[in-house]
Amino acid sequence: MVASASLTLAAIHGFVWYRQRSALASLMFCLMATATAGMAACELWMMSVQSPHEYNHALQCFNILRWMITLSMVGFVHYYLGTGRMWLALSVCGVRTLGLLLNFTLTPNIYYSSISELRKIMFLGKSVTIVEGTPNPLMFVGQFSLILLAVYLVDATVRGHRLGIHRSLIVGTSMLVFVMALSVQTFLVLWESMDTPITTSIFFMGIIATMGLELSNDMVRAAILANNLQNREYELHRERQLTDAIFESAPGMLYLHAREGQIVRWNSQHEKITGYSNEETKLMKAKDLFLPEDLPKLNRSWDRAFSKGSDEVVVDLIRKDGQAIRHLFTMVRVEVRGKPHLVGIGVDLSSQRALAIESAHHNEEMAQLAQMASMSELSSSIAHELNQPLTIILSNAQAAQRLLTHEKPDIKELQEILDDIVSADIRAADVIKKLRTILSRGEPTLELVDPMDLFDNAISLAQADVDASGVFISKKITSNLPQLYADRIPVEQVLLNLIKNACDAMEGTAPPSRHLSLSCKKDSGFIQFSVQDNGCGLPEDFERIFDAFHSTKPSGLGLGLAISRTIIRAHGGQLWAEPAKDRGAIFHFTLPLDASNS
Amino acid sequence: MTTKQKVYLVDDEPALLRALSRLLRAEGFEVTTFGSAADFLSAHELNTSGCLILDVSMPMMTGQELQQHLLDAKSNLSIIFLTANGDIPMSVRAIKAGAVDFLTKPVKDSELIGAIKLGIKKTNEKQSSQNEITSLRNRLKLLTLREHEVFLHVATGEPNKQIAYALGITEQTVKVHRGRVMHKMEVESLAQLVLIAERLGLLVTNN
Repeated sequence: MVASASLTLAAIHGFVWYRQRSALASLMFCLMATATAGMAACELWMMSVQSPHEYNHALQCFNILRWMITLSMVGFVHYYLGTGRMWLALSVCGVRTLGLLLNFTLTPNIYYSSISELRKIMFLGKSVTIVEGTPNPLMFVGQFSLILLAVYLVDATVRGHRLGIHRSLIVGTSMLVFVMALSVQTFLVLWESMDTPITTSIFFMGIIATMGLELSNDMVRAAILANNLQNREYELHRERQLTDAIFESAPGMLYLHAREGQIVRWNSQHEKITGYSNEETKLMKAKDLFLPEDLPKLNRSWDRAFSKGSDEVVVDLIRKDGQAIRHLFTMVRVEVRGKPHLVGIGVDLSSQRALAIESAHHNEEMAQLAQMASMSELSSSIAHELNQPLTIILSNAQAAQRLLTHEKPDIKELQEILDDIVSADIRAADVIKKLRTILSRGEPTLELVDPMDLFDNAISLAQADVDASGVFISKKITSNLPQLYADRIPVEQVLLNLIKNACDAMEGTAPPSRHLSLSCKKDSGFIQFSVQDNGCGLPEDFERIFDAFHSTKPSGLGLGLAISRTIIRAHGGQLWAEPAKDRGAIFHFTLPLDASNS
Repeated sequence: MTTKQKVYLVDDEPALLRALSRLLRAEGFEVTTFGSAADFLSAHELNTSGCLILDVSMPMMTGQELQQHLLDAKSNLSIIFLTANGDIPMSVRAIKAGAVDFLTKPVKDSELIGAIKLGIKKTNEKQSSQNEITSLRNRLKLLTLREHEVFLHVATGEPNKQIAYALGITEQTVKVHRGRVMHKMEVESLAQLVLIAERLGLLVTNN
């Protein structure tokens, strides 16, 4: 009965181990249960032996099985609880092995020095054979191994308990109880000549039953866990579907990339916009989508995003076909599988920019209405503004000349012609007057202004050009600058003109490095304003750029700088230019702090 | 007394329209003014004689757009552009698209009138050539199917005998048909008939 129960358990756990090779505890349990089954058979044999010689054989078999059980029990505790001390485990195994060796070298065996007789006794209502003989003192080795095993079990149980492994208490204690009971019985049978056969297997069966129960509990727990895992996987799958949908619904490109730059996930827009197929993208790093000269800027942005949690950057995305599209990239740090990643979207600015430019253009028209149009634009529209009334005047005058050759000239019509000529003339005069206001040839109307305000107003007027040319502006302004007397609008026009010129000069500069630097400082009795670009620089005879009608631009009239210089001189200041250190030009102008200078 | 030559002025500036129309009326033209390209189009005068003077920069539809519109409508009307701030590429485009001239404001009367006269001449030439073709087409429609066949053969210079053979009729019948063709097409010589066939594009299609 014991044997068959043990074999069933052995088969179950052998199967568990076979299915899952890493479950070594199950293997150990399987070995232990098999050996117990063998032991039960062996004990039955011992109960029915006919000669001392036969009993000796049975006992040797019994001993081999004991050895196997001990070793597999240690192994089970080691693999199942993992708390026992390794040296104790090895000692148990060593001593047990020593006992086994002694059993085969000593005659007749380790248990008896000599076997005197075989006796038949009644045990549980059956006639069984037991032996009478002198116990071998060396049997102590076997008992010692049992004590060591008990110590090992106590140690493993206590340590397991301390570590909070609940099952260690059940497994350890039950094992300990049965091992102790077994030792006592064996001792009594052998030394005190208690008249019972050796029924060790029953005790081992107890251990196996407890352990089997525990292992089965584990299997049930594992099954519940597996079930939970499956539910969780389904939830994850649903979650994944949701994030996929979110990824796909984004209007622009969406991406997830690792710290080292590998692109981990992306949406179909990513493929469409970059032109790289999914297979190509898998092998790419984020930096492969940009120009090498943009990488320092990108690296700074990535570093900021990883350290601060988020960042954004405006940079040209280079498509597979080489086309550059300006994008705004946002990025947010996320943990994916315990590693920091960046998730974000790319927004195509070329279309957004077009919108921005359009609205800026509208703003500019408004500014024009407020008579604050830039000089360069005004000077280029002078032609149109003046030619229109001049045509009206000329054609009317020539029509009048013709009418006067008629015999009876139509006086009423001549009157109308003269009226039209007068109003066209007034209109032309208005254009010139408007120009004169901007030229500021008249008395400048001085008011107290803040140098910072001058810069800010000029920048807001130039915003459309600055945006359109993708220029980065930096301001370097000494704090606590005194206010000064100036004619605000013309001076703002000068700054606007210089900023626009700088933007035009940087057309040949690569967009990311277009940099406009504005500075303002106090210099003795003057405030000095400077506008520096890194554009195409100044021509060789650069004093000529201040001459009227000298233009370096194909569509320019060559009035901007000439008018600017006039305005600044009217204020008692100076306007001059110098080449910048590396490339580009710097324009400076000064305005006196003392209004009486102007 | 000859009928007055027509000039159409399109400009968004009323004072300028008044000035130019006074000048041109004094010069003897019949002037019609329009404040916008759309106004001109809605007057449905695309195929009249005369000349169109067009401002380049107008709100809504520019002068160039109107020019394209007229080209698409196969108008014969000559166009003269007038602009306050034109550049070379703009003028090249206008001339290539068939404009007679591209003048800048303020424009001298002699220059403008010279251009208008040239424009009207060109309009008339196109118009009369178109009229002639229309009347030739009408005459061609009068021919019977057989006469049309004979006409095509005659125009390619084939002798009567050959035509008779080709059409399976007698030489005498060919002569009768030929006489009728000459009469209906209102020509007196074979040379004139061939010229008409050429102008109507009949020779190209039949060869």
